[in-house]
Amino acid sequence: MYNLGQYLPGDTIIHRLDPRVKILSVLTLSFLVFRGAWPDAALISSFLAILMVTASLRWTQVVDSLRPLALFVVLIFLLHALFPEGMSSSPALSFQVNVTTEGVLRGAFVSWQFICLLLCATVLTVTTSPTELVAGMERLLRPLGRLRIPTHQLAMMVSLALRFMPVLLEELERIKTAQLARGADFRSGSLVRRARAAASLAVPLIVGAFRRADELADAMAARGYRNGPRTTLRELRMTVLDRTALAVMVFFIAGLEMLRTLEPKAVQYVYALFFG
Amino acid sequence: MIEVKNLIYGYHPSDRPVLAGISLKVRPGEYVALIGPNGSGKTTLVKHLNALLLPVEGSVSVDGMDTRDARDVPEIRRRVGMVFQDPDSQIVGMTVEEDLAFGPGNLCLPPVQIRRLVDETLTKLGLSGLARRIPHSLSGGEKRLVAIAGVLVMKPRYLVLDEPTAYLDHTGRQRVFSIIRELNAEGIAIIHIAHDLQDIADAGRIILMNEGTILLDGAPGDILDEGETLESLGLAVPPITELMRRLRGQGWPVATNVLTVQEALIQITTSLGRAGAAYLRGSGAEEAGSHV
Repeated sequence: MYNLGQYLPGDTIIHRLDPRVKILSVLTLSFLVFRGAWPDAALISSFLAILMVTASLRWTQVVDSLRPLALFVVLIFLLHALFPEGMSSSPALSFQVNVTTEGVLRGAFVSWQFICLLLCATVLTVTTSPTELVAGMERLLRPLGRLRIPTHQLAMMVSLALRFMPVLLEELERIKTAQLARGADFRSGSLVRRARAAASLAVPLIVGAFRRADELADAMAARGYRNGPRTTLRELRMTVLDRTALAVMVFFIAGLEMLRTLEPKAVQYVYALFFG
Repeated sequence: MIEVKNLIYGYHPSDRPVLAGISLKVRPGEYVALIGPNGSGKTTLVKHLNALLLPVEGSVSVDGMDTRDARDVPEIRRRVGMVFQDPDSQIVGMTVEEDLAFGPGNLCLPPVQIRRLVDETLTKLGLSGLARRIPHSLSGGEKRLVAIAGVLVMKPRYLVLDEPTAYLDHTGRQRVFSIIRELNAEGIAIIHIAHDLQDIADAGRIILMNEGTILLDGAPGDILDEGETLESLGLAVPPITELMRRLRGQGWPVATNVLTVQEALIQITTSLGRAGAAYLRGSGAEEAGSHV
C-alpha cells in the first residue's frame, strides 16, 4: 500500500483547523525560525512542541520526517563547527580545522533551524489531508488569479499528481517485473549499463503516462470538466476555532517582538542563563 | 433520443475514415449493445455521443441538441454519461466521495446538493463504506463501481459503458450486470460496448460494427442467426448458442438464436415434441435439466 504523504486522519484541534490557517501558520513559523536568533529559539521550540503534542504526533512520525534530511543536518552542523571562518576565506586545499565555541553554537543553531522547518512541515502534512492542502493553497493563491495566473488549474494539477503518483509507482513496479522477466539487470554492471537498464524502465513508464493522460483528459471532459468555476464537496469556512488559532499566532509573534525590542536585558539574561 | 446521421469521422483526412457513414437512433430507456472486432470504430462512435469528438461530416444530436453547438455541450455531457474501459484513468478524486463530487462540482452545484447526490449514489451502488477510501486502495471491481458511480451521480439519461466487465472476475461481472439491469429498469438508456456476446444477454438490441460501418442492427435473436458473419469477424458465439448450432447441424429442428438456458430448454423440449415433454415430466426431468 502506498500512502499518500504522511497524512494520518485524526480529530485533534490541529486536525480540525482550516487548512488555510495551518498553511499560513507554518509559513509564519518558518519565517520566524529563519529570522530568529538564539533568544527566540527556546520560545519557538516550545511552541512547536506544544503544537506537536496537541496534534498527538507519534514519535515514529517525527523520526520518519527527520530521517531523509538527517545527514544534511549533520553535515551542516559539522561544516559550521569545523570551519567557523567559512570555506572561502581559507585558501583552497588547506582546510584548517578550527573548533571554536562560536562555531559549534552556530552549527547547532543552523541545524536547529532546519529541524524546526522539517517539524513545521510534518505537523502540517500529518494533520492535513492532501485534498485539504490543495484546497487551502488554491484559496490562498486565488488573488493571483487577477494576474492571470491559473490558480485553479494549478490546484487541479497538483491534486491529479497526488492521485496518480501511486498509480504510476505501481506501473513502474509492473514494468520492472516485466523487464526482469526478460533478463534485464538493474543492480550490477557498469554505470553505463545500469543507466541503460534504467532507460528500459523510464521509456515505457513515460509512454504509459502519456497514454493515461490522454484517457484522463477524455474522462474529465466527459464528466463536464472545463476551464471555469467549479464547486467542491467541502467549501472552506473559517470557524471560531480558526479565528482563535490565528489570534494565538498573532499573540505569539507579538510576544516574540516584545521580548526582542522592549526587554533586551531580559533577553540577554535568558541568553546568559542558557549559554553563559 | 440520440440521433446519429451519416456520421463520417477520420483522424487524418488522407486515411481511411474510422467511421464511414453511421446512422442510428437510440431511444430513451433502450438497452443497446455495440459489438465488433478491435478497430471497428465502437469507441470512436461513442465518443461522438457526448461531443468528445465532433463529426467531420454528418451530425449527432442528443435530445435535439447538436453536439457541435458549444453552448449545449455541458448539458449533453450531463445527459450522456460515459464510463471508460480503465477505471484507473478516470477516477480523479483523492478519495471515493471526492471523485463522485467531481461531476456535480463541474456543474457548479452547491456543496449541500453535491453531498446529497454523492451519498445517494454511494448508497445505491452499495459503496457507502468506501466513501473515505483512497481510490488506489480499492479492488478492481470496486474501482469499476466507483467509475460508474462517478458518472451516475450526474443523473444521466443515457449511459455509455465501454467494456464495463474487462479485467473483472465472475463475481465482479455479475455485480456489474445486475447494476446495468437495474439502471435500465429505472429508465436509463444503456449503450454497452462488449467483446463477448455473452455479456450482452440482457440487451434488447445489438449493433454489430465492422470497419467503421454498421453491419447488422437488430434484436439479439436476429444477430445470433448470423453465426457465420460473427465468426468471420472473430466474435465468439456464446456456448449455449454454439450448442444449439451443433444440434441443428446434426439435424435437430431447433432455433440457433438462443442466448439463455431458459430459451434453449424451450427449444430443445419443443423439438423433442410430445415424447420429449413426457420424458422431462417423468423421471428424467432433473437429469435433463442439469445437463442443459
